[in-house]
Amino acid sequence: MTTFGKYIHAIIQQGRDEARKDGSAAVEAQHLLLAIAIEQEATTHQVLTSAGLDLRAIRDALDREFERSLSAVGVSAAAFDLPMPSSAPERPQRLGASARLAIERGFTSAARKKDLQPMNLLIGILQAEVGTVPHALSLAGTDRAGLAERARQALAGTGG
Amino acid sequence: MSGVESPASSDPAEALAAVTALRRLADRIEDAAVEQAMRAGWSWPQVAEALGVTRQAVHKKHAQRLIAAGVALRRR
Repeated sequence: MTTFGKYIHAIIQQGRDEARKDGSAAVEAQHLLLAIAIEQEATTHQVLTSAGLDLRAIRDALDREFERSLSAVGVSAAAFDLPMPSSAPERPQRLGASARLAIERGFTSAARKKDLQPMNLLIGILQAEVGTVPHALSLAGTDRAGLAERARQALAGTGG
Repeated sequence: MSGVESPASSDPAEALAAVTALRRLADRIEDAAVEQAMRAGWSWPQVAEALGVTRQAVHKKHAQRLIAAGVALRRR
């Protein structure tokens, strides 16, 4: 397996853990983003933290996005006082639509397959203009498009 | 005061984000509520009828998780 192949495999495995913790039946783009933050690969870590996006900040941004989106229609996540449900025994296998799009975009962001770097996956995630991840980043005051551009520049700087 | 709608609820982006969040919340409440019902001794057909879905659907969606969590499940 190529270095990029190993990286994306590790991210998807970590993303499956995040999806399971989230009670999600599929791995979505936000789970891949959390996985990238957990993995702390040097180049992507540098770009994310330059925008103040460490793991804690990303989790907080996603939590706030959930609360804000619900409150826009007058719903509070805390309205039902039920104990937390038990987690599924297995991690979801399925990649959701947002994760598949992010991976596809990541792949097409490299000129040639052999040029693929970890950063390409982050670029693929940051390319989404709508959906949970861009909405969460926007609510957190992060300039998503600017961050995507910085990721591209960082990639160009490494000759990728 | 021009009406009861807040600006946020007339914005399609906010409304679409709300749909995603509501689905996630509904899934979370369903997981929690089905688990509580089964722990309280409800049967699969009762839970299914309460949710308005088939017994097969509710069983397929929740049985593995509840068995792994050690919930004593009633037969039929």
